[in-house]
Amino acid sequence: MKLHEYQGKEILRQFGVNVQEGRTATTPDEVRQIARDYGDAVVVKAQVHVGGRGKAGGVKFSPTPDKAYENGEKILGMDIKGLTVNKVLVTKAVDIDAGTEYYIGMIVDRNVQSFTLMASAEGGVDIEEVAAETPEKIVHYRVDPITGLRPYEARAVAIQAGFKGNLNKIADMMVKLSQAALERDAVLVEINPLFVDASGTPLALDTKFEIDDNAMYRHKDLADWRELEAEHPLEIEASKYGFAYVKLDDGNVGVLGNGAGIVMTSLDVVNRAGAKPANFLDIGGGAKAEIVYNAVKLVSKDTDVKAIFINIFGGITRADEVAKGVIQALQDGILTKPVRMRIAGTAEEEAKALLAEVNSPLIQMYPNMFDAAAEAAKEANAGEANK
Amino acid sequence: MGILVGKDSKVIVQGMTGREGASHSRAMKDFGTQVVAGVTPGKGGTDFEGWPVYNSVAEAKEATGANVSIIFVPPAGAADAVLEAAHAGMPLIVLITEGVPTVDMMKAVQEVKALDAQSRENGGEGVRLIGGNCPGLVTNGEAKVGIMPNKIYTQPGRIGLISRSGTLTYEAAKLLNDAGMGTSTTVGIGGDPVIGTTFADVLPMFEADDGTDAIVVIGEIGGADEEAAAEYIKNNMKKPVVAFISGRSAPAGKRMGHAGAIIMGNVGTPESKLAAFKDANVPVADTMPEIIDLVKAALNK
Repeated sequence: MKLHEYQGKEILRQFGVNVQEGRTATTPDEVRQIARDYGDAVVVKAQVHVGGRGKAGGVKFSPTPDKAYENGEKILGMDIKGLTVNKVLVTKAVDIDAGTEYYIGMIVDRNVQSFTLMASAEGGVDIEEVAAETPEKIVHYRVDPITGLRPYEARAVAIQAGFKGNLNKIADMMVKLSQAALERDAVLVEINPLFVDASGTPLALDTKFEIDDNAMYRHKDLADWRELEAEHPLEIEASKYGFAYVKLDDGNVGVLGNGAGIVMTSLDVVNRAGAKPANFLDIGGGAKAEIVYNAVKLVSKDTDVKAIFINIFGGITRADEVAKGVIQALQDGILTKPVRMRIAGTAEEEAKALLAEVNSPLIQMYPNMFDAAAEAAKEANAGEANK
Repeated sequence: MGILVGKDSKVIVQGMTGREGASHSRAMKDFGTQVVAGVTPGKGGTDFEGWPVYNSVAEAKEATGANVSIIFVPPAGAADAVLEAAHAGMPLIVLITEGVPTVDMMKAVQEVKALDAQSRENGGEGVRLIGGNCPGLVTNGEAKVGIMPNKIYTQPGRIGLISRSGTLTYEAAKLLNDAGMGTSTTVGIGGDPVIGTTFADVLPMFEADDGTDAIVVIGEIGGADEEAAAEYIKNNMKKPVVAFISGRSAPAGKRMGHAGAIIMGNVGTPESKLAAFKDANVPVADTMPEIIDLVKAALNK
């Protein structure tokens, strides 16, 4: 689960990180009031789960309360990469020129089977660009998951990254960042920019915080923070069913299968067949008809989808259950797009018999994934041409 | 022959009396695996379909001489179940459970590695964890400690198989089976970010195994496990290896998140994996059926 900036900052504050003051608003009047309360220049920042808000015009410096009102009016209701801004964070503005901007982050790193602490003196900019162009400017340090980061380790990393300022205070912030990551089951936490003022004191100006979905059961308080209106409706529905679902841009074939590996390969096969996948949907193992029905329903709702490719290798999953789910969707009028599927394994013959009985041109089964994908691609591209 | 599991494996099932544990205990038994007992805390002393059930791994091991444990414990208790088995001195632990919190796995994997080193230092056989979120292991014709469908393993053979993906393991095993080549041992290492055993850990075992002539590695985008495997192959292996990489067309930045991109620089992309395998002279199949052609070609060299 991705947290908004203001939520991530709240967690960091709970762990004792020095976080820049700010309050949220949902109307331009509230924005102006907060600016008046702060009695100084503020920054109005859109709270949406997308990168590049600043570039999209979702972050604006506001020297006066009236300007803050104006910016609030501009940003609230704005569309950033398909998401509507319903809330802004209003923070006190900081004179960036009066200090230095750094970057620190903790991420789950499979290569060291733990968290890696990252630190860079190139803060305040797009850190991915730094990583791509000058990777040597980012220090990587494996954090022991059992002990957490110790102050001496944090100081060493800060020194190596070339941080200037009060080293003890900066190291302390890194230690607290590590505690927050471990105790709150983060997948990723970043403080960028980490602003160090003229006195050497660090302050977190912006954060990114993402929690491991598998650990949400022990963070019930954070589940209440989830703002469904800030997410794509299909992704909300997918998470309700427990599907791993990703919406892909510029696609026309809905892709679903049982297991991340087979769905990824299905995307490859659709691409090779000359079409573009519109989504990635993993229905998981052992799916019954109802799950397949819901998956078909979900994918059918996506207007980009012109045809559906289902790729199942049944072990525990039974082919006849898959067929039943698809047939049910057809009978309920949910399925109006061609489904081309390959279901290998358990109860394959039963599935064929069920489909023969229904005898609908909309649902076809193929003995291998390449033929099924090719047919789905053909249907999708034809559907595209008929638009 | 084969690696890690075989005729002599004596298997206990942690979580045998749960729904998944029960059905897969039966399926493993049908395959011919020596399933000797179950472990369900609180149900010790009872009998489950003819198997004795114990309260702890230590008791079960003591009573049966088991040397493998397979875990079907729900996510919240799964890492704890791994640690229980590891501290009981179980040499091989297979964690099937999907959805275990990553932080739990980080801690468990680190502790298992420390116990493994300690055991070896004291002349013991070590402790190895496979998984989590994996389909387990099969040595064809001997034993299955996992959840793979039995019927795709009817053709014992001399091809070793290692995979990060469950379903693609089945797909590849079936292709090898149908091609008449069969498999020696299949090792599903799991798709989670933090796992007990990696490709590079399994490859030396296949290199040393008299029952294996060639190895198929089924990888996917993300991480640098394939790159590490390629490095190992390049420097250490004499047996031929054939690879497949899933998700080559998946758009960057989705799902994998930006985090991976940051830390890896240009590692973890399909391009870097393909380049690493190329550098190690490992042919990479474009489609899964092509794996068979590449294995045949490698064996005929």
